Amino acid sequence: MTEKTEYEITIGIETHVQLKTKTKLFSEVDNDARGKEPNSCVSPIDYALPGMLPRLNGEAVKIAVRAGTAMNCKINPRSRFDRKHYFYPDSPKGYQITQFYSPIIGAGFITLPSGKKVRIEHAHLEGDAGKLSHFDDYSLVDLNRVDTPLIEIVSMPDIKSAAEARDYCKELWRIMTYADVTEGDLYNGNMRFDVNISLAPKGSKTLGTRAEIKNLNSFRSIERAVEYEYSRQKKLLDAGEKVIQETRGWSDATGKTTSQRSKEEAQDYRYMPEPDLPPLNLSEDFVKTEAKKCPALPADYREQFKTSVPAETLEVILDYPELARRLAEVESAASSGNAVEYTANLFASVLLAEENQSLLNDNLPSAAQLKELSEMKSKNELSSTAAKEVFLKLFETKHVNKSARELAKELNLIQENDSAALEKIVDKVLENPATKSAQADFKAGKEKVLGFLVGQVMKESRGKANPSAVQEILRKKLA
Amino acid sequence: MDITEKELEHLASLSNLSLSETEKTGLKKDLKNIISYISQLDELDVENVPPTYQVFEMENVWRDDEIKPMETSREDLLALTVESFDNQIKVPKVL
Repeated sequence: MTEKTEYEITIGIETHVQLKTKTKLFSEVDNDARGKEPNSCVSPIDYALPGMLPRLNGEAVKIAVRAGTAMNCKINPRSRFDRKHYFYPDSPKGYQITQFYSPIIGAGFITLPSGKKVRIEHAHLEGDAGKLSHFDDYSLVDLNRVDTPLIEIVSMPDIKSAAEARDYCKELWRIMTYADVTEGDLYNGNMRFDVNISLAPKGSKTLGTRAEIKNLNSFRSIERAVEYEYSRQKKLLDAGEKVIQETRGWSDATGKTTSQRSKEEAQDYRYMPEPDLPPLNLSEDFVKTEAKKCPALPADYREQFKTSVPAETLEVILDYPELARRLAEVESAASSGNAVEYTANLFASVLLAEENQSLLNDNLPSAAQLKELSEMKSKNELSSTAAKEVFLKLFETKHVNKSARELAKELNLIQENDSAALEKIVDKVLENPATKSAQADFKAGKEKVLGFLVGQVMKESRGKANPSAVQEILRKKLA
Repeated sequence: MDITEKELEHLASLSNLSLSETEKTGLKKDLKNIISYISQLDELDVENVPPTYQVFEMENVWRDDEIKPMETSREDLLALTVESFDNQIKVPKVL
């Protein structure tokens, strides 16, 4: 071995997104099987009983148009369904209904927070498979998930690092959640990522042999799996060995990928047009109407808050569509930009602090409440601590109909800013013989005792004086 | 066109079938006949004929997204399986 070869990593990602429909893609049974008994959401169609015919869910078509729009994709007016045959107990039909030849969503791209664009090759509608649980000498099949509507989003191999793979998946998750395409619950498999990774010597014009890591469902595991796979493939190539084209599984526990099945014998899916589903031919009007329903996306909010909210704060908030939307409402209600930045800070550092996150399930304060709260804070009517207290209390159901001012008053948190009133309190404290020695110390140059004097005034005001105003008055009077 | 042993095995594995030697011999002959019968279609010149995906001229056939009560119970459906356990379908171990 002489010089070490430097490698370039190329990553393409296929993402399965479960759509938020009430019923399944081809039958009228409940699509939401969360917390339900196994095989309790299965119709004879999903069960593939002889003679059963699929009936397409129109809502899935509409959602697909919205999803495509959210990814800047061309919507193909004409699309069709095909059968992809395979023999496995997760599919009673013996095939999956998918769109192999003519997908509904064409080429597009998404933009990552870094500004990098990742191109989308296409995305298609298809049905999900059932769920298998494996035991010592048998497996059990639950068909609740059969034909849950999915779109599979296929990226171009534009992704160049583990961090970028994570960013792509996270941004796609955000986009799909904002666009109301999916519930976006990763833990329950609402979005699953298959990551294709290959290495080639730097500058090489051809791509290396790829391995595909199937079924990742957390951003952290995507990043770790890519890092692991990079070093595994690099080791093989450095040793002059070959990377095998295969499917690999990731284990969070071991931090490794392991071979699942070799693709040596090429898969033979025998695709054929699905004869039971007429093709789609969407009118321009239909596509326009559905595309218009796509709400503001993370990229729109980045643009909107570019100058008013620091990027780091905004990225934290963008994980929660309801917070981004509320922030936008605060902006249109408020006269100054301060309210937006202040509210963003309350969201990012108070609400999303670990101890308060459970509040996300409660009433989010209204834009009017948040606007008033931030105005009171900027006018020093509330100290930062008091403002945070009011903010947290606004989540309680019993305070929903109160204005921020009403609640602050009720909690007795409004600061005394009126300088005449403050001066009176300060005078009272300065006349108190107990403070005389402190006053003398301060005049002699002991800065520290000012804190003590401010404390006395605060006490006298029952905590309602504005400490910085008090400090200013004290300095004037003791000068 | 003869069906090779390998082609037959590939087809059998795709269908998850294990075939005896006698079945193999019979199937090879049957498949050969079927395929040469269908192959007559190859004689037609279809150069300028668009592919037919659908014989009915229907498009955009879809239904509303409303849950309908199930007419078949889980018990009815599970009763059709060879074996069930714990309200699930029990199958030989697969990986």
